[in-house]
Amino acid sequence: MDLHGSTVEFRNVKRTFGTVKALDDFSLTIKPGELVTLLGPSGCGKTTALRILAGIDKEHEGIVEIDGKDMSQVPANKRNIGMVFQAYSLFPNMTAIENVAYGLRVRGVDSHKRESRARELLDLVGLSTQADRRPTQLSGGQQQRVALARALAIEPSVLLLDEPLSALDAQVRAQLREEIRRIQSTIGISTLFVTHDQEEAMAISDRVGVMNKGVLEQIDEPGKLYNKPRTPFVAGFVGLTNYIPAVTESKSLVLVLSQSLEISDHSPAVKKGDEVRALIRPEEFEVQKADEGATVITKSFLGPVTRLGIDVGTPDLIYAEITSKEAKKIDTGDFVRLSISSDAVMIEHV
Amino acid sequence: MKRKFTAFDKVIIAFAAFFFIAPLIAAAEYSARGYGDKGHTFANYSWIVHQLGFSPALLTSLRIAAITILIVLVLMVPTVVYVHLGGRRYRRLVEILCLLPIVIPVVSLAIGAQVAMPKSLQSTSYELCFFYVVVAMPYVYRTLDIGLQSVALSTLVEASQSLGADWFKTLTMVIIPAIRSSTTGALFITFALSLGEYTLAVLLHFHTFPTWATNVSQQNIYGSIAISVTTLGGAWIFLIVIAFIPRIKSLFAQRKRVA
Repeated sequence: MDLHGSTVEFRNVKRTFGTVKALDDFSLTIKPGELVTLLGPSGCGKTTALRILAGIDKEHEGIVEIDGKDMSQVPANKRNIGMVFQAYSLFPNMTAIENVAYGLRVRGVDSHKRESRARELLDLVGLSTQADRRPTQLSGGQQQRVALARALAIEPSVLLLDEPLSALDAQVRAQLREEIRRIQSTIGISTLFVTHDQEEAMAISDRVGVMNKGVLEQIDEPGKLYNKPRTPFVAGFVGLTNYIPAVTESKSLVLVLSQSLEISDHSPAVKKGDEVRALIRPEEFEVQKADEGATVITKSFLGPVTRLGIDVGTPDLIYAEITSKEAKKIDTGDFVRLSISSDAVMIEHV
Repeated sequence: MKRKFTAFDKVIIAFAAFFFIAPLIAAAEYSARGYGDKGHTFANYSWIVHQLGFSPALLTSLRIAAITILIVLVLMVPTVVYVHLGGRRYRRLVEILCLLPIVIPVVSLAIGAQVAMPKSLQSTSYELCFFYVVVAMPYVYRTLDIGLQSVALSTLVEASQSLGADWFKTLTMVIIPAIRSSTTGALFITFALSLGEYTLAVLLHFHTFPTWATNVSQQNIYGSIAISVTTLGGAWIFLIVIAFIPRIKSLFAQRKRVA
């Protein structure tokens, strides 16, 4: 199966629920065949964006287009969009194969064609042997696979995934997300994925958009998003970040843990002497054993890296990650010297 | 996890079963008695079909029941689905409206509602269908409401629509089958009620199965019980048939696929 990847465009979309702005001037373009993830905390507007694209939520301002065609007057059942939901959404009265064939059945495709297509898709998601099982006889992971096959059966122009892995256990979740990525890349369908799990977003997306209070704060490739966050919210939300009290030395320099560092481009404007917080990732620290200085309070083994919780005299512990090999030399209670290796740090006002 | 029944549970179930089954067995036994110590016989059952007006009365009641079921399906299923989806704010109102027939005396309903009936319907027994829909509403609403609460309705509707189905297909292919046991229950209640309702039919001077049965019962006491047992048995057969139709259909579909 080879689907045509469509271009999806949100232009200045706004949606309010009472006084709450669920989407505030939201603009996004998904290129053909691209997998874009909207990442953010609960209530940030990511699911609202997805539901607007699906046509389920119509009370919005702004323009939504698929391949240049305005979707505002097109009802949900005419948009040709495949959708996988967070909750298990298989029709309980149908078997797996009947579920997959449902979209073709409502389109009037003849029974032989729809059965062979449904089997092809069940094969694609690795469930060809479970075709005659009912949803209650399938595990959560299997149900979401069937839901994915069902969404793809109609040859949609866009695939929408609304936190489809959140109800699954960790192992199945990791396995299924790789499978989703494989299938999406294989068939080349434009996909909008919504999740609050940053690991999931970073693992499978071409680009990740981080949302906060209805605003798309930044959309970038996962690596760029992590290494070059454009707002303090993105820096704080994506990955672990230390918020360290600091004082600015000038408009472009900040003193953090007695170290003078450049302030990154996307930080707010400051003047000399401002009290700020520097946002530093755990892996940006170099830790060396010393005779005096900061004290290691906690030590957590995380596989290839070990996370140290270090008391430097600030209100909160500072977390630093070093290779587990280096961490063998350091124990809790040891004194260490911390240095920050990054060229420029992001700051935010206190 | 399978629930284990305690001894107390078993006693309660046995008592409840006895409470329901014993009168039925007693009725069946009584209806099979022959006059003058002649032992047990099916004569009272064959007596029923030989009574004048049996077939017309039964057919009228079956026709009324079928139309009532159809109206209930068309009216109640979309209404209850609507109050579960977009019309939540109307839920209390619909609940109250559906409960009204319980507190309004049947006599008031018969006299009052007949005035509102179109003239073309007032002289036909099909008028009763609309009364029976009203009378069945409290039970049908509650049964469908419980069924819809047990499924993720909004997700199923959204999934169906995203796959291209319109409202009619979503209702008939997803929602009604998804709450099959509730729908079956609602239909059964409607069928039983339509087939057994006496007061409205007699007040409005229509000849239905219950009015016919009341008339002929006065001639044969054993026969009257035989009519009750037959009616009950017929209702149960109907329930079993509508409960099994989807299973038979899916069995045929599977066989077709295998072939």
